[in-house]
Amino acid sequence: MTNLLFALVALLTIAALVQLVRVNELLSEITNRDTNAVTDDDNQKNGILSLIIGGGFIVFVIWQMVTWDHLLLPPASSVHGEEIDALMKVSMTLILVMFFLLTPLLFYFAYKYRGREGRTAYFFAHNNKLEVAWTVIPTIVLTALIIYGLRTWDRAMNPDISDATVIEVYSKQFDWTARYSGVDNILGASDYKLVEGRNTLGVDVLDENSADDIVVREVHLPVNKSVLLKFRSRDVIHSAFLPHFRVQMNCVPGLSTQFAFTPNKTTAQMKEEEGDDFEYVLLCNKICGSAHFNMQMKFIVESEEEYNKWISSQKTLENTLTLK
Amino acid sequence: MSLTVENNAKKQLLWIGMAAILMFFAGLTSAYIVRKPEGNWVEFTLPNYFLVSTIIIVVSSLLLFFVKGRLKVNNSIFSLVFSVLILGILFSFFQFKGWEQLVNQGIYLTGEGSNASGSFLYVLTLAHLAHLFGGLIALIYVTVKSRLNAYTIDNCLALELTSVYWHFLAILWILLFFLLKFF
Amino acid sequence: MSDHHKETFITKYIFCQDHKMIAKQFLLTGMFMAIVGMLMSAIFRVQLANPGEYSALYNLLPGGWVSAEGALNPDKYLALVTMHGTILVFWVLTAGLSGTFANFLIPLQIGARDMASGFINMLSYWFFFLATVILISSIYVEGGPASGGWTIYPPLSALPQAIPGSGTGMTLWLLSITFFIVGSLLGSLNYIVTILNLRTKGMSMKRLPLTCWALFVTAILGVLSFPVLLSCGLLLLFDRSFGTSFYLSDIIINGEALHFAGGSPILFEHLFWFLGHPEVYIILLPALGIVSEVIAVNSRKPIFGYKAMVGAILLIAFLSFIVWGHHMFMTGMNPFLGSVFTFTTLLIAIPSAVKVFNWLATLWRANIRFTPAMLFAIGTVSAFITGGLTGLILGDSALDINVHDTYFVVGHFHIVMGLSAIYGMFAGVYHWFPKMYGKMMNKTLGYIHFWATFICAYGVFFPMHFLGLAGLPRRYYTNSSFPMFDGLSDINEIITFFALAGAIVQAIFIFNFVYSIFKGTKASTNPWKSNTLEWTTPIERIHGNWPGDLPVVQRWAYDYSKPGMEEDYVPQTVPLKEGEEDH
Repeated sequence: MTNLLFALVALLTIAALVQLVRVNELLSEITNRDTNAVTDDDNQKNGILSLIIGGGFIVFVIWQMVTWDHLLLPPASSVHGEEIDALMKVSMTLILVMFFLLTPLLFYFAYKYRGREGRTAYFFAHNNKLEVAWTVIPTIVLTALIIYGLRTWDRAMNPDISDATVIEVYSKQFDWTARYSGVDNILGASDYKLVEGRNTLGVDVLDENSADDIVVREVHLPVNKSVLLKFRSRDVIHSAFLPHFRVQMNCVPGLSTQFAFTPNKTTAQMKEEEGDDFEYVLLCNKICGSAHFNMQMKFIVESEEEYNKWISSQKTLENTLTLK
Repeated sequence: MSLTVENNAKKQLLWIGMAAILMFFAGLTSAYIVRKPEGNWVEFTLPNYFLVSTIIIVVSSLLLFFVKGRLKVNNSIFSLVFSVLILGILFSFFQFKGWEQLVNQGIYLTGEGSNASGSFLYVLTLAHLAHLFGGLIALIYVTVKSRLNAYTIDNCLALELTSVYWHFLAILWILLFFLLKFF
Repeated sequence: MSDHHKETFITKYIFCQDHKMIAKQFLLTGMFMAIVGMLMSAIFRVQLANPGEYSALYNLLPGGWVSAEGALNPDKYLALVTMHGTILVFWVLTAGLSGTFANFLIPLQIGARDMASGFINMLSYWFFFLATVILISSIYVEGGPASGGWTIYPPLSALPQAIPGSGTGMTLWLLSITFFIVGSLLGSLNYIVTILNLRTKGMSMKRLPLTCWALFVTAILGVLSFPVLLSCGLLLLFDRSFGTSFYLSDIIINGEALHFAGGSPILFEHLFWFLGHPEVYIILLPALGIVSEVIAVNSRKPIFGYKAMVGAILLIAFLSFIVWGHHMFMTGMNPFLGSVFTFTTLLIAIPSAVKVFNWLATLWRANIRFTPAMLFAIGTVSAFITGGLTGLILGDSALDINVHDTYFVVGHFHIVMGLSAIYGMFAGVYHWFPKMYGKMMNKTLGYIHFWATFICAYGVFFPMHFLGLAGLPRRYYTNSSFPMFDGLSDINEIITFFALAGAIVQAIFIFNFVYSIFKGTKASTNPWKSNTLEWTTPIERIHGNWPGDLPVVQRWAYDYSKPGMEEDYVPQTVPLKEGEEDH
């Protein structure tokens, strides 16, 4: 029934449009002018519309910024993340300044220079000084931005990992598993051919480093201690996205990737700031199949004591995989 | 447009087409060059047949250089062009022999026991041969036409285009051969 | 030179070698595919606003795409997203934009009878047509069409077990894109050679209209980059169909350990994006070229800084080859490499900024005539400013860490492509419609179309930046699986509302277009009082474009409101007056 209604509305709209255009044509025949010639009146109308709708666009943007600001991610919960946030602030300020300068200018020009019979445009074909100015100034500004950005990138990508806790994050369609490297802080070797039964990560149990590895489905991290996440994938490309920590890294089958960071806000702290139902979460951020939208794993940042308590209560692979 | 302009345009169409084909092979060879140092790369000796086919295509390309000279003095170019065609067919034959030898060596395109080194070789040589078939078709056409004495020094566009393309295929093969043999 | 072959219906409309007819074939096919692609986006937007609920729009889908409860299947959501991207990027914005305007304008604007090779030109369309048929047919095969995103990364796109669309659907996608690329290359060949060889007397490269410059450089970009996609796709085909390991390694899927070893999906990404990035400039440059033309004509002023504009086009084209890694910052690449790509990417902002400033300078002290084309041209500039600026965030590798693959990216590329480039295309259609069809499009409907589209389009894509900054990933079937995204449902609803409204508004354009072809008021030879050569041909389109001799060019294309001249425009064929300075 609704389909019928839609079809009817569509048909009637088309009919209305046809009539509108026909009226136009008849008018032109009567008044003997070209209906589609753009008149001063058209220019006036569209000039005003440029101001109104262009202005409306600006207002819309500001409205969005104000209304949805609280929906954005909270400030970063990691050391490098804070630097990224600072860079983001600077970059955003720059682009917003340019946006709020150039967009109104564009629509204002459209209004101010709307055509009128008898006016002549100003023949202004080039001006080298201007060209140089607006090539050199953006170059300088962008160079500064690039340098700032690259320093932030370098520090995010090359942190000190000398005493980082090594944790493997293993992705597959459609969930995550984590493997702590245990007391020796060395992950046991793995091979995809070894995946079998309970050995879902294909850990090589003959490697002496695997014995103390711990496999979990929820990651706990001690606050203010650096952690090195190492990523693997079982099947297709996934991407480990921890938005609150400003961490993202593709998980590629056949390759190993990694990202090191230092969380500096506990889950408890975040619950105070953001609400009681806050949780740190790991999402998949690279299209990986039908349940791509629902690959999640909880991350909990806690004090060192809480963390130690938790990890010592976990079973190692020695106890879960082998029959020693 | 005048005949010269039209001919120039057709030649440029071919040149730009060859640039596109070159970029296609650039993609494949970059993949090869990036993949090789990553390990898990089975080394093997390139079958001698590929050396034979290299020599054949170089000779065929050289032969084409004599065509213009013969046309100038109004001699028949049929035998020359026909020889190039035969050599082209021989080239293809030896490519197949090369693949046969690879299979005998245990180097396969795919399946159990295959490796990237072999796969790349097959794909590169196959891609080249596919483009060569286009060249063979062009050669057949000009062979027939030259049998009918259709070409004069001022009117031999198809011949010129075919020659340029054939030289391109030869140079491309030499580059691929050096890549596969020495890199 | 007169045309002496007898025209039948077939040779005039179907297997035609006249560049003007081929242009229209591209336009109509592009418009058809735009409707298909837009309907797909309407469908998946409805899913995003009302996750898991039934919608009447789902009736458009093939059987089996919707569950018994009426919810769109998640993997078919991905199929729609994939096909939407593929169709809009390649079919509409590459073939529909370049194919139409390069074919139509190049011979006319340079003063040539036709393209260098009408035959190759005809082939370029028919390869494109074949590609279209294959792609559409892939929607109906078992397993559905390709579903790994338009970027088709393996292993997802290589393994039918990973997602059903990676079976026959993906094979057909690869076949289709092969024909598409061949068709596109054949076209580019012609555009380049025609511009180099067939310019009429007096038409030096320095007098070429900016539209031609843009189309010329775009064609070169295509010749150098599309073949790499072909090689990329060939290796994928081998992996999928013959079991090679170019891109695949260490895979267990559906409980089965696969034999692939030694391959790398990152290799695919490098090869893909080597085309992928120039591709977006292949899309953008023609639109910007059209906009320069439309703005100059309708401002009654020369385009400001012609030389700088040409330089900017060349610099953008050159730089476009060395920025591809910015799509791959999060692949685990060597951070130094990431730095290099950040540097080159932010550099590309400079010629882009120069273009914006030059357009603004063109509008300054202009005498603007608001044709619908002009409105769309101004819309393009606005979108280019908005979308270009967010590119500065994405191009910065450190910032990309948290916005990569989120809706921030989706907002950015839709604004630069879905707004900028499409507006450019609309501007082109409105502007050259009188030349293409000898009729005028209705201006009132054009005005309504523009303002409504402008409002709806920004309504759809601007909010996406906020979704991205809130952390919402792209290609998600729904935002309702993660509590952290619960607050974003309102935004999704707003976006969908504008998307559906925007889609419906396009009907006005379609109606105007079709109606005007048949019943539009008859156009005069040069309704926009433009200087360029295409407006010196008679309204009745003829083979060979000019009935007599080819025009001779005496000046550049932008003598609008030149002091000392009687009219506010001076066509390129008008000789310089005594003592008049040439530009």
